[in-house]
Amino acid sequence: MIASRSFAGLNYAFSLAMAVVIAAILTTALVMQFGYGELPCPLCLLQRVAMFGIAFGAMQNFRGRFSYQNDGISLLFAVFLLIVASRQTLLDIYPRPGHEYIGTAILGLHMPVWSILIAAAALLAYAVKLVAIGGDSDLPFVPVAEFPAIKTTAGVVGAYLIALCAVNLVSVIVQCGFGECHTMGYKLLQ
Amino acid sequence: MMAAIFASLTAAWVAASLSRRDLSLMALALCLALSIWLFLFEIYSPEYGFRMPWIQTFLDGPGNAPT
Repeated sequence: MIASRSFAGLNYAFSLAMAVVIAAILTTALVMQFGYGELPCPLCLLQRVAMFGIAFGAMQNFRGRFSYQNDGISLLFAVFLLIVASRQTLLDIYPRPGHEYIGTAILGLHMPVWSILIAAAALLAYAVKLVAIGGDSDLPFVPVAEFPAIKTTAGVVGAYLIALCAVNLVSVIVQCGFGECHTMGYKLLQ
Repeated sequence: MMAAIFASLTAAWVAASLSRRDLSLMALALCLALSIWLFLFEIYSPEYGFRMPWIQTFLDGPGNAPT
């Protein structure tokens, strides 16, 4: 049971770390949007949705007890992120009118390429976690309340992610209205 | 459409925070379904369909040119 408790602690720490990393990435995306005026394209916004989905699955583990169903949600959105990012990378890989990488390159890589790496890293992290501690059948039976520090931090991160999601909703409505999205400007401000 | 996707995503987060798990999962499923639909809509080209001819390659040699 001591080993199970340690594994459960590791498991909750993993979910929290995953949510924190995704929150940091999504915050960076907002900083690039509002600080540097780089409006997201439709596929970029779908990648944000996928990242929110990964974080959603991770944060659900803090509503009582851990569940493999929540990991499934995260994996589902990680695969969706990988598909969308790969397709966008392939769309822009050969520059031609109307199709080229937009936005600032970070370390020489543009956002969709980073998204591929983020999706691959998330899938790899979940795979390693499942190999390392997934065999412990007691994981779903150790409540998060046994780890007060993790639970408190998760509450703060969860609230931050909800706020981040709400900001994105408002931003999308201002940018796209209720129609198609374009990167020329904020539709409701023109 | 993108507004509907983010609205359902936000609804999922809020429902989850209110411990309405079934509602949050339904909103998230709706969000994913709309996202997949929009993704397919965005990448479909009336000219090429879902193909990506700009990255089509072929071996140099007789009989290997693209058709």
